[in-house]
Amino acid sequence: MDQFRPRNDDHPVREIQKGVEDLKALFEGFFRGRGLWIVILIVIILYLLSGFYIVQPGERGVVLLFGKLNAITEPGLRYRLPRPFMDAITVDVANVRRAEIGFRSDGARTRNVPQEALMLTGDENIVDVQLIVQYVVNDPMKFLFGSDNPESALKASAEVALRGVVGENTIDFTMTSGRMEVQKKVEIYLQKLLDTYNTGILVVQARLLAVDPPAQVQEAFHDVVRAWEDRERLIKEADGYREDVIPKARGMAQQEIREAEAYKAQRVIRARGDAARFDVLRQEYEKAPEVTRTRLYLESVERFLPNTRKFIMEGGDSRVLPLLPLTNLGNGPKQQPSSEESPSSQMKGKQ
Amino acid sequence: MSPMVKIGIVIVVLLVLLGQPAFVINEAEQGLILQFGKPIRIIQEPGIYLKYPFIQDLIVFDKRILVADARPAEYITLDKKRLTVDTVSRWKISQPLEFYQTVRDYRGAVSRLNDTIFARLREAIANHTFISFIREERENIMNRVAEETAIPAKQFGITLVDVRIKRVDLPEEVQNSVFARMRAERERIAKRYRAEGEEKGREIRANANKEKEIILAEAYRKAEVLKGDGDAEATTIYAEAYGKNREFFSFLRHMDVYQKIFGEDTTVLLRPNSPLMEYLDTPFVGETSVRKVLR
Repeated sequence: MDQFRPRNDDHPVREIQKGVEDLKALFEGFFRGRGLWIVILIVIILYLLSGFYIVQPGERGVVLLFGKLNAITEPGLRYRLPRPFMDAITVDVANVRRAEIGFRSDGARTRNVPQEALMLTGDENIVDVQLIVQYVVNDPMKFLFGSDNPESALKASAEVALRGVVGENTIDFTMTSGRMEVQKKVEIYLQKLLDTYNTGILVVQARLLAVDPPAQVQEAFHDVVRAWEDRERLIKEADGYREDVIPKARGMAQQEIREAEAYKAQRVIRARGDAARFDVLRQEYEKAPEVTRTRLYLESVERFLPNTRKFIMEGGDSRVLPLLPLTNLGNGPKQQPSSEESPSSQMKGKQ
Repeated sequence: MSPMVKIGIVIVVLLVLLGQPAFVINEAEQGLILQFGKPIRIIQEPGIYLKYPFIQDLIVFDKRILVADARPAEYITLDKKRLTVDTVSRWKISQPLEFYQTVRDYRGAVSRLNDTIFARLREAIANHTFISFIREERENIMNRVAEETAIPAKQFGITLVDVRIKRVDLPEEVQNSVFARMRAERERIAKRYRAEGEEKGREIRANANKEKEIILAEAYRKAEVLKGDGDAEATTIYAEAYGKNREFFSFLRHMDVYQKIFGEDTTVLLRPNSPLMEYLDTPFVGETSVRKVLR
């Protein structure tokens, strides 16, 4: 118990009492003098300083005096009277916010939300649509006090607008050619609703991310694409056939015409040749017809008779004829085949 | 206790007492002051106001546009199709007194409004076919429901801004038949594309064949004309040349023909008195004349 023994002989309780009394005296001295006023002043200054607020770049400050709009302030360090007299609320008016309809992006991944994405089209089909709306707050006053939860109003209104516009059009229109138009209409419709609801929101852009057939019918839609490709292929193949056939036909035509031209030229030239030859022969013939004629006759006979089977009979006695075994004579001499085609045959030309 | 502390306490108490009757209505709010439960004053402008403590009560209402999001409900169209429709209406409290007296608070208002909208929408949808509801009349129906709902809503101190159809869905089993129809529709289109491809392909091929035949026929015609020209010209040349001595031409030509027509299978019967055999029997000079005399 040595360590608890007081260092002097005074009673410990009395010591504490003395200390408290000293402190009291000190405080009383302080408050009796200027001390109290200093404290009050500090409190008042701190209270007044609480009226400073910062409006960040891209923000606007909405200043209320007893709950009533007093001013809208630009970015910078600003001052208002402290609460409960004045209040200031800052609203970001530069940041482009986005709302997602039909899907939720979760970091890099997106998740489809079928109950939002699936909707009826005007031709009683169902289509899977994903919409993204980019918007800014363009009227901070309305944004704060015009509508209850303006951002949820935006989301609900985007669905209303999207379904309304998609419901007016056919599935093919929305999926293909009308996509831009649908997008524009949704934007206009949505802005109209937001204005009606005093949301103070301006739609920067409504963009259709995906307009797809629902998963249940996707295969059939893909087949349509394939069918289109088939169609194009069949046409291209036929074009190919045409490209093949027509030039060939033209070639054949040219060939035939050239051949005919060749024939014509050949005929004329040959005729001239034949004519010239005849003419020369004739001139010679006319100089000595008798001799030439006999010679030509005999030459001719000499050329064709050797190949034939010959009988020499008395003239006029036709009664012998039926006895001749004409039909069996065919296997006669064949020692001289048709090699006897004389190059000097007179009228070869006319053939 | 020092007089300074006493003064301080008095100030605080006064502030509290003064603060009690003073209240602020901001831009989003409106208020109703009740005295022993009896409404005596409506406040719709923002600012600071006073009321008697203890005997007067303040009820604050929202002044902003509020939403009543109904739960999706099932409706039947004129052509007996079932639909699940999800509506959302927007409204604001324009008469806090009536609002307080009839529907009391936000929840009361939402349930009354949704009941009315449900009934009106049920009637409107029952008068339209499914397709006209989806396609053409959606906007009109919404407007009419809004108009019809606005009248009772006014009695609740409510100004209805609008009623909108958020979602229209088909029941599950109907959805499946829609999918089946969509598939059939796509199959039809796919078939059409393929048939069109076939059609166009055949047409192109047939045209190509036709063109080919025409080209060939035209070439044949030209060729025949050319050949005819050639023949004609040749004929003219021959006629001119041979015409100079018809008899000689005839002779030569006959000789030529004989050579062509006599072959190994030809049997020639030669009479001894034919000119060819002239010298066979009479190889000596003068004989010819003798024979001629004998004849």
